[in-house]
Amino acid sequence: MSEKKTYQKTEKKALEYVKKDYIKTRTLPGAWYLSSYTYKFDITHMQPFLKKLKDKKLIGNRCSGCNRIFFPPRLVCGQCLVKPDRWVDIRETANVATYAIAYLKNPDTGEVEEKPMVLVQHDGSNTCCIAQMAPNINVKDMYINMPLKVHWKGERTGGLMDIEYYDVIEDASKDLSSKKE
Amino acid sequence: MGRQVCCISAGYSEHASKRSDVSMPELINEAIQDCLKKVPSVCLDDIDAFANGNMPAFEGINIPELWMTDWMGARCKPLMRVTTGGTTGGTVAICGYYSVAAGIPGIDTVLAIAFEQQSQGDTSLGLASVALGEISILNTLGITYDQLNRLLSAGAAIGVAAYQATTYMSKARITEEDLARVVVQERRNAAKTWWAHLKMPNLTIEDVLDTPYVQYPLRFGMVCPASDGACAMLFTTEEKAKEWADIPVYINGVASVANESAVLGYNGSGSAQLDPSTQLGAMRSAELAYSQAGISFPRKEIDYAELYGPFPNQTLMWSEKLGLFEETTAPKMWEAGVTDLNGELPINCSGGVNATNAIGASAMERPAEAALQIMGKASNQVPKTVHTSIGHGWGGSLNLCTLMVMADQPKRKWR
Repeated sequence: MSEKKTYQKTEKKALEYVKKDYIKTRTLPGAWYLSSYTYKFDITHMQPFLKKLKDKKLIGNRCSGCNRIFFPPRLVCGQCLVKPDRWVDIRETANVATYAIAYLKNPDTGEVEEKPMVLVQHDGSNTCCIAQMAPNINVKDMYINMPLKVHWKGERTGGLMDIEYYDVIEDASKDLSSKKE
Repeated sequence: MGRQVCCISAGYSEHASKRSDVSMPELINEAIQDCLKKVPSVCLDDIDAFANGNMPAFEGINIPELWMTDWMGARCKPLMRVTTGGTTGGTVAICGYYSVAAGIPGIDTVLAIAFEQQSQGDTSLGLASVALGEISILNTLGITYDQLNRLLSAGAAIGVAAYQATTYMSKARITEEDLARVVVQERRNAAKTWWAHLKMPNLTIEDVLDTPYVQYPLRFGMVCPASDGACAMLFTTEEKAKEWADIPVYINGVASVANESAVLGYNGSGSAQLDPSTQLGAMRSAELAYSQAGISFPRKEIDYAELYGPFPNQTLMWSEKLGLFEETTAPKMWEAGVTDLNGELPINCSGGVNATNAIGASAMERPAEAALQIMGKASNQVPKTVHTSIGHGWGGSLNLCTLMVMADQPKRKWR
């Protein structure tokens, strides 16, 4: 008797399971570990640039085909397929090429903070790079072509973070440039 | 010179955020059934070859076409797979076009299928797998992962498109209201389309502006959904199309053009495009496709356009870059109702990508809908007769564009 009962029970369970999943496909959990992948890079073209960062100097490289200046330096020019080989000094001042504002939760306090994300074009270069703004900047005052200046880190190690952030400097042509509405 | 190619039918599966009632092959089967239903004289034996594609990283299933051969009816037939990220659908359609145009003996009719079931996997993880190769070099150059996270933050497509939106907004001098207007039009159109995902017949501009920001210029209400869905298109030669279909749609021009990457340069270098809304790739693809089709005045000659605009600023931007409107005038056209269903140049009457976004499929849904509008079989049919239409796709790091120009007449021999 007891065997029969258990059999009936399992049958019922199975039916319920089928009924429950009839409107749904069966799902199996899986995982994908991105950290198990390895990537290889050639950063030899970056070494002179990183060395100069220690001495508070910015350099980019120039393509002899199209005369564009890349900052940070590039291995191959995308237009001409030529190796940029001439090193050029670049000024510390820059412009905001484009920006967006992210709303991020602070992991410590749980408050949502406005965080500007900017692409910066250095004066004397033809490319833009991702950068960080000064922590005390008012997000609502930002606009495209806003002039900036590099704020150096106290102890420089020869990495990209030697440029700690960008300070906002006074804009002489503020009324002329297109301001954010 | 290749053969003249025609599209005789296109079909969709129903789109939703979670199609948990079907598996991936069943989803595709829905689209193929719908596609073949529209041309009753064609059966599976008439189809000679298959082209398909999706974005495998978004679902975590590799080589899905081997799994679903039976469901496509592709048993013992040539099968090809193309994957190009966001433009996958557009590229699969172009692949189908080329397979017919090439004139290979025995291959006259090709079924192109694009699909995506995003609820199965993690899309942002899939995108991370693409971007990690580029980003991890920044780590070796001295930026910690913690810092990187803050630099790129919300990431995915929105983080990139937000840059584009800011530059476009400052260039065209528009406000968020103009962006919301595009969204309202597209989602109201989607309510009349049976397969669309976000159907909002009573949406207003205020409703969109009430939602919180995802990333500064883009609000939650303006951002495209993540859908499950599939799309199928049937390509064949001119002779067979005349026999099988009432109104064969002639494919007169295709183009797929990439520009330099717009936001992240490779190996940690700077990106060469200063303004992500310049889009030289789109302009070049338009030039190529229009010259193939013999279109000299796109503003006058094109009657209907389907643009790949997951975010409203992109719909505006593409319409300018593809030569439909002059630079920075697109927002005024939306305000004046030129792009309405009854307007002079209807755009995205199916609801566009803003209402339905099954990533792999959505770039094919554009030319498919453009073809159906010419045939007169679209579910939200334009009242006027459509002679020429375009279907556009976008993907990559803001830089890859596909375009397909279709008409109810074959290519002009002279121009």
